Amino acid sequence: MIELKHVFKRYPLGTEALSDVGFTLAKGEMAFLTGPSGAGKSTILKLICLLERPTRGQITVNGHELGRLPARRLPYFRREIGVVFQDNRLLNERTIFDNVALPLVVAGMTGDEVRKRVLAALDKVGLRGRERGFPLALSGGEQQRVGIARALVHRPPLLIADEPTGNLDAALSDDIIDLFREFNDHGVTVLIATHDLRQIERLKKRVIRLGAGHMLGAA
Amino acid sequence: MKAYFTRHAQVFMRTLGEFARSPAPTLMTVILIGLTLALPTGLYVGLLNLQRLSQGWQPHGSLSVYLKKGGADSAAVVAIRRIPGVATARYISPVQGLREFKTASGLGGMGLFGRHNPLPGVVIVAPTRPGPRSVALLATQLKTLPGVAHVQSNLVWVERLDAALALGRRLVTILATLLGLALVLILANTTRATVASRSAEISVVRLVGGTNAFIRRPFLYIGALTGGLGALCALLVLEIGLIALEGPVAALNRAYGAHYRLTGLGLEQALGLLVLGASLGWLGARIAVARALRQSEG
Repeated sequence: MIELKHVFKRYPLGTEALSDVGFTLAKGEMAFLTGPSGAGKSTILKLICLLERPTRGQITVNGHELGRLPARRLPYFRREIGVVFQDNRLLNERTIFDNVALPLVVAGMTGDEVRKRVLAALDKVGLRGRERGFPLALSGGEQQRVGIARALVHRPPLLIADEPTGNLDAALSDDIIDLFREFNDHGVTVLIATHDLRQIERLKKRVIRLGAGHMLGAA
Repeated sequence: MKAYFTRHAQVFMRTLGEFARSPAPTLMTVILIGLTLALPTGLYVGLLNLQRLSQGWQPHGSLSVYLKKGGADSAAVVAIRRIPGVATARYISPVQGLREFKTASGLGGMGLFGRHNPLPGVVIVAPTRPGPRSVALLATQLKTLPGVAHVQSNLVWVERLDAALALGRRLVTILATLLGLALVLILANTTRATVASRSAEISVVRLVGGTNAFIRRPFLYIGALTGGLGALCALLVLEIGLIALEGPVAALNRAYGAHYRLTGLGLEQALGLLVLGASLGWLGARIAVARALRQSEG
């Protein structure tokens, strides 16, 4: 599902974000990507959804070798991934329904199918009935749930999350991570970048450790 | 196919909604475009009117043949009519000529000429083949006739007027091209600002798999709609201008005993202007979004 081989990433100003990083995440697996700030966690997630390209090395995601993926195929590749951010990146001037529907609309879906899927996704994250509201009227945890609903509404086989509990208290963090585990139980491959050791301890899932751009281990 | 049109309709409706949410800046841009388009369009309409007016005056290359005073006018007229290149020859006698002059000049009641009529007989000749060459040839032939004193080609001033109109048309074309370019730049700049204000939204759409065409679509609608509304505004400005000129034209008509009416753009031309405005708006938006997308892709 995800395979990184000898991946290097150097930013234009000379900062080496990743140095010879490699790991594999099998289909249906769930793993935590952990390490201190600046370890390269976010860079790896950006490389996986091709927001950045590696300086060197090979990355394969959902069977696509990203180095060979033509630019015109990029949007279609991204539709196979659900992405959740710490700051959830919701569109505040659009309704919750419209936010969650975005990946479906982008994929060309219209009408009843969109409505059915959006309501089902909101139901899964416990926000059914709030679809007409706007993101700013929700709490931080609820906003994060909307972000997760948006990441999953188009049923991608792979879900990646960058510090999804970074702004939440312990109880809300548990709820959110439990949601990810639930999706993983239904066969979705999940990779979560976090330095929340409590969640890592609690779930007993695989952990990929990074430090200053280097692999420290993949347990 | 149905889904394709539904998506376009949704984007179009959302664009209209955005227009309604921020009417003031949109209105200002629309008025700016309207005034920019109204200038060359107004000049074009002015030229069209001038052309129409001059067509009413144009004798289509006719010749005025002045006969010798005291000669036998009827014989000269017969001789003129025999020339192969003459289509029609209308004789105006000195008496008739004086009467027409008095009426046209308004000097009829002043008794300027007393009993003496200084005017010669005139024959207005229409050539069978209009055009500078054939008219010039016919003039040469007419000059050789014994009863003819002078031949004046009316083609000269027609040619001068045509040349002036052609110059006017060229100036309008140049002005329209320059202002069209300015309009594209105005809309490109407006769209660039809109794209910048929505960069967060664009990055999210990209992330969930939006294609460039999907990202571009609402901006193209905004551009086309702004341009189209600007053209509509130009048509309104033009109509108001024509209404404002109605009074002075009526006064001129009264003074000259004429019945001239100013005309604006026809339906086809008005629709053409709307399409042109929308196309220029679309083009401006296309340029701005393409640039922004290239930059955001890194």
